Amino acid sequence: MIAYMVRRVLLAILTIWAITILSFLIIQLPPGDFVDTYANTMSAGGTGITEGEKQALREQYGLDQPMYVQYLKWMGLIMQGNFGMAIEWGRPVMDVIGDRLMLTIVISLAAIVFTWALALPIGIYSAVKRYSLLDYVFTFVGFIGLAIPGFMLGLIVMYVGFSYFGANVGGLFSADYAEAPWSMERVWDLIKHLPTPAVVLGVAGTAQMIRIMRSNLLDELRKPYVMTARARGLSETRVIMKYPVRVALNPFISTIGYLLPYVVSGSIIVSMVLSLPTVGPLLLKSLVAQDMFLAGTIVLLLGVLTVIGTLISDLLLMWVDPRIRLGRQ
Amino acid sequence: MSLKKMTRRDFLKLAGVTSVGAVVAACAPEPTKAPAPTAAPKPTDAPKPTAVPPTAAPKPTDVPKATTAPTAAPKLGATLIGKLEGPTIIRETAQFPKTFKEAPMLADLVKAGKLPEVAKRLPDPADLMVIKPLKETGKYGGNWRRAFTGPADHENGNRINSADKILHFDYTGNKIIPMLAKDWKVSDDGKTITIYLRKGAKWSNGDPFTANDFMFWYEDVYLNKALVTTPFFEFQINGKNGVMKKVDDYTVAYEFPEPYPYFVYILAGSTSMGAGFATRGAFQTNGGSYCPSAYLKQFLPKYSSEDAVNAKAKAAGFDNWVSYFKNRYSWALNPDCPTMTPWRTVSPINTPTWGMERNPYFWQVDTEGNQLPYIDKLTMTLAENTEVANLRAIAGEYDCQERHMGLAKLPVFLENQQKGNYTVHLDPAFNGSDLALHMGNAYEGDAEIAALIKNKDFRHALSMGIDRDQLNEAFWLGVGTPGSTAPAPDTLYSPGPEWNKKWATLDLKQSNDILDKLGYDKKDGEGYRLRKDGKGRLRLEMITVPGSFVPYTPMGEMIKQQWKKIGVDVDIKETERNLAFGKTANNEQQIITWANDGSEMLYLFARHALPVDTAESHMGMAYAKWFASGGTQGKKPEDPEMLRAFDLFRAAMGQKEEDQIKSAKEIWKIIVEQQWSIGVVGQSPAFMGVRIVKNNMGNVPERQVNAQHARTPCTSGPQTFFFKS
Amino acid sequence: MTELVIPQDTPTTAAEEKIAVATQWQLMWWRFRKHKLAMLGSLVLIAFYLSVISVDFLAYADPNESDAQRGLIAPQAIEWFDNGEFKPYVHPLKGTRDPKTFKRVYVPDLETKVPVKLFGQGFSYKFLGVIPTDRHLFAVEGADAQTTLFLLGTDVQGRDLWSRLVYGTQTSLTIGLFSVALSLLLGVTLGGMSGYFGGIWDTVIQRIIEILRSLPTIPLWMGLTAALPNDWSVMQVYFAITIIISLIGWTELARVVRGRFLSLRQEDFVMAAQLLGCSKRRIIFRHMVPSFISHIIAATTLALPAMIISETSLSFLGLGLRPPAISWGVLLQDAQNIQALAISPWLLIPVLPVIVAVLAFNFMGDGLRDAADPYG
Repeated sequence: MIAYMVRRVLLAILTIWAITILSFLIIQLPPGDFVDTYANTMSAGGTGITEGEKQALREQYGLDQPMYVQYLKWMGLIMQGNFGMAIEWGRPVMDVIGDRLMLTIVISLAAIVFTWALALPIGIYSAVKRYSLLDYVFTFVGFIGLAIPGFMLGLIVMYVGFSYFGANVGGLFSADYAEAPWSMERVWDLIKHLPTPAVVLGVAGTAQMIRIMRSNLLDELRKPYVMTARARGLSETRVIMKYPVRVALNPFISTIGYLLPYVVSGSIIVSMVLSLPTVGPLLLKSLVAQDMFLAGTIVLLLGVLTVIGTLISDLLLMWVDPRIRLGRQ
Repeated sequence: MSLKKMTRRDFLKLAGVTSVGAVVAACAPEPTKAPAPTAAPKPTDAPKPTAVPPTAAPKPTDVPKATTAPTAAPKLGATLIGKLEGPTIIRETAQFPKTFKEAPMLADLVKAGKLPEVAKRLPDPADLMVIKPLKETGKYGGNWRRAFTGPADHENGNRINSADKILHFDYTGNKIIPMLAKDWKVSDDGKTITIYLRKGAKWSNGDPFTANDFMFWYEDVYLNKALVTTPFFEFQINGKNGVMKKVDDYTVAYEFPEPYPYFVYILAGSTSMGAGFATRGAFQTNGGSYCPSAYLKQFLPKYSSEDAVNAKAKAAGFDNWVSYFKNRYSWALNPDCPTMTPWRTVSPINTPTWGMERNPYFWQVDTEGNQLPYIDKLTMTLAENTEVANLRAIAGEYDCQERHMGLAKLPVFLENQQKGNYTVHLDPAFNGSDLALHMGNAYEGDAEIAALIKNKDFRHALSMGIDRDQLNEAFWLGVGTPGSTAPAPDTLYSPGPEWNKKWATLDLKQSNDILDKLGYDKKDGEGYRLRKDGKGRLRLEMITVPGSFVPYTPMGEMIKQQWKKIGVDVDIKETERNLAFGKTANNEQQIITWANDGSEMLYLFARHALPVDTAESHMGMAYAKWFASGGTQGKKPEDPEMLRAFDLFRAAMGQKEEDQIKSAKEIWKIIVEQQWSIGVVGQSPAFMGVRIVKNNMGNVPERQVNAQHARTPCTSGPQTFFFKS
Repeated sequence: MTELVIPQDTPTTAAEEKIAVATQWQLMWWRFRKHKLAMLGSLVLIAFYLSVISVDFLAYADPNESDAQRGLIAPQAIEWFDNGEFKPYVHPLKGTRDPKTFKRVYVPDLETKVPVKLFGQGFSYKFLGVIPTDRHLFAVEGADAQTTLFLLGTDVQGRDLWSRLVYGTQTSLTIGLFSVALSLLLGVTLGGMSGYFGGIWDTVIQRIIEILRSLPTIPLWMGLTAALPNDWSVMQVYFAITIIISLIGWTELARVVRGRFLSLRQEDFVMAAQLLGCSKRRIIFRHMVPSFISHIIAATTLALPAMIISETSLSFLGLGLRPPAISWGVLLQDAQNIQALAISPWLLIPVLPVIVAVLAFNFMGDGLRDAADPYG
């Protein structure tokens, strides 16, 4: 068991290294560099900078060096625990991300809680009471949620909220609390702003989860062991909850490690539309601006989180499903 | 049946409502409207559904005529475009105030002993800058709320804070006025430009502002190869460097080896030498012509050691002292950075809120001796998505905002004016075209196409194949002015109104004739002309860049439909900005859609009028390289007219002002005649010209100059804006 | 547990006799038929794909022809009865821009009636690419449909939304199929191999999956789109992107398949097959795959609508299809702004077919899932 764990950890490190190279390459793929983007942005904003100024900026940021030198420089910095400067922001990368990472996790958790709290009971209900009226209703409503593109839903929710309910437009804080230090009032302000993004983000995932939960559980309910359990006089709740639900959760657990990157990726568009201060739009902006260190670090960070998540989910899988555990040995 | 009646009744209702609206509109102080509802016969009582409702009065033929004949109706948007106005500068020292007042916020600090009294913070009484506010003396206080889109949006705050320019333009955008320098002088030979500083003026931390701040910038920053690698071309005449000299503590001279009277405009314009320390610092390019020497010395190796400054940089998380110096040099990033601007940063631009507070040492007062600015604070909140910024503006969450407000949203802005308690102003710009089809004049890819692009007649044919009224209606809501690339007729360099229309009106017949004459008279089944080399249809490629102030791709789609009528096919290729500019830099584009903003001040920002600037040149980068390098690099243009324009342009820098203007007009005539860039619709408020102003804001002009060189809204004097309640 | 259809052994009727002798496919069909929503979904999809092959018949206007004087017309009211007779017609519209509100205002010319016909004559085209005709589902008499008929209104450029929607449907419904098929193939094969063989296979495949899934998709998309040759047409680029999506998308399925394999490996029937000397391939595809086919079907039916949704999202990010191509994503992009919501909400109509198609795919998949296991 320990040998297995050690092997897994070593492999994880290898994976992370592969991710650094891949992410570096991907970010370098588009033509031009940060200075080009910056100059072009300025031009679009009605003010130009000169060729000489461009060259000076390039030298300052080391963008005139060959790609492998830049990569090695980046690796060298990371080894020292320094993730470099976010060029566009003029702040250390970790400062820029730090502000937003926590809010991202808060929103993601809210969305996940919303999704699971709604999807699991409904999924179980739909499987057990298949073809009942409520099954149809849940199915229908769930799918509509799945079918509306997130960006559309976000804008509509925001616009309707503004024009009919006088709600705040986008963001996670009211203007008064945007810059305030953390306090109970600020937390409360955040909580008040959470439902919109959580619902908009969670809606699509919920429908998907209901469907998969229902499918999995239906598969399990037909198995002989369920009949056996029932025949032995176990209560219906116990029959369903004890084994079939646990087994039906198996595919979820195998993907739990991807939840965070999935939600972050999925949240980019919604965060853009709702103007949420999360990592998502930051990633998108840094990619567009070709802000190498910032984009690279975010991709790397998400990669590491995923690798760790996968590790955890594999271990969880062994714990939940004894068949896998035994198979390993 | 009932449904049918309902529909009809609804129509009637709707018709009634719109007609009332139109009548109200017609009662506004302007000539009668085109769809003249007043001329409509009184609606006969109409039990029959076939009865004609009031608004059906204009006969079918009236409507198209009305919309295509601009002389019949007042220009759309006229009611929202007010009088060009702004604050004025008092230069008669006799009229200067003798006693001074300050904001309560600062008075408290003075009482607490944390700040010297106001008279000691201001420059010497004779060297004050005195501004007569547009309408009234304001009240102190308040927080001006605005939107910004992130750390790259520093121009948002720079432009409001451009009062630290050495010279500037007045509210008309045509006349140079003193700013940080109280006066200037051009020597008779045109080789020396001297500026006179305000005695006793101080940086926002109280340090004295003197010629030393200029010399420090020149010697320790500009001439420091680590900080400025390439000399600024604006500080050169014909490739020869200028030098800066200190005459006395309050007098600085710029000296050039050749006459360069135009340098006065460089100092007044939005250039690396004249845009002010705050702006050029925020650009991180170390420009500005002066900087806070006392503060910045600690970050330069010269005043300690390279190790010491590097250690400082490392401690702050920067690679080396150069990066750290640039960061410290930016007023937007560094709240400690002293400035000469009305407001200084307290919460930097790289946080969710860019916060600013009044500069206690600001050197301007109103005519009653009140130290400016009136408004205490400026808070810009991050809206990474401009739709959110626009929606917040509609909700009345911003006090005065012109940046990022979309022209296409005008109906929504107007609809919510009362709810949001704001007023919408339109500020049309002066440049000829928000959509210019910059031709790849140095394109070499496809030989036959390249030859055509280089053919003046072909460019004329393309230009006359565009129905500009259509584009104006669809994308500028009819508010823009269709025409060539030439600047607005009332600008300094305008060659005359006839040049705004030249080659720029729809003429399918002439266009088709030209193309036939060029030998492209064979057409395919769909009516498109065929290439001469037998490789099928004559098809051009147009690069459209997404995410700009105006939607270029749909505009391209519309032009594609219009060019169908002259048998020219065009592929619209939406290309991300970097990729697109990369193509133009390599002379690989046939046509690219971009604006020609800034071109109205031809010499200050020529890149959108002529291929002369290697930083950005959509009209032939190879030619720009040739021009900028003095013929050593790039490619010499074959077009003698382009060479003539280049010569005129180069000579103008050393000419007297009247000759400069004459040359500029001549250059514009060449540009329009040659159509190296095809203008479509311009002189519009699409770029930063839709202004949302809360009704409780005072001294805000009805209309302001909307131009790059005017640093809009700086010429309106934001330091004199105030909250009435 | 009456919901579960379990064959009872008493009393035998003719109907049950039928069940007992039916083939698996018959059973599946019967089962599928019982799922009303699935049937409905299938019908809707059949209709959708019929419309895909007959766009020119459904459209009555050139989807690209623009005219600013027809910009932003609201969906047109059709008058169904003329003097009590069923004779649908529309009034021609005249438009100007209101100088006060800056909205475009259209006034019907109530004196003129333009009859609307089903299967009337319009522009000429070749039906299914072969049969020359000029019949259209909707047509007008005595006028040009382009300038008189606006069933769903027009966009900013005055292009007919109905016709654009018809062409957009064609693009959006066809382009994702290939990518889903590719993901499915890759996912089942690689996931199965990983789960069944274990060892080095498992390690390598799992590593690849891990790396691919650890990278957020947006940078992958952005990087790869930017790396595509610039002279490709929009369609070629989009096709390439769908392949890229499928190359990333298979991992989801593969992991799930692997998880299933790991647990199924221990099942008695697999053991029995192994003992009987079945080849590995036979065991995988003959015994193991069918036992979780329902999951694969559920995942596939969810993948197809996911493709449709991601097509729209990619357009939102400026990475997918771009105008002048027409797709649901491109059409929705036109509605992704405040002015559309506030003054021209009909531009949101393209979201309806997206919802309907996604629902239909899901319902059909649901029915298929249930039917795939007809003995359950």
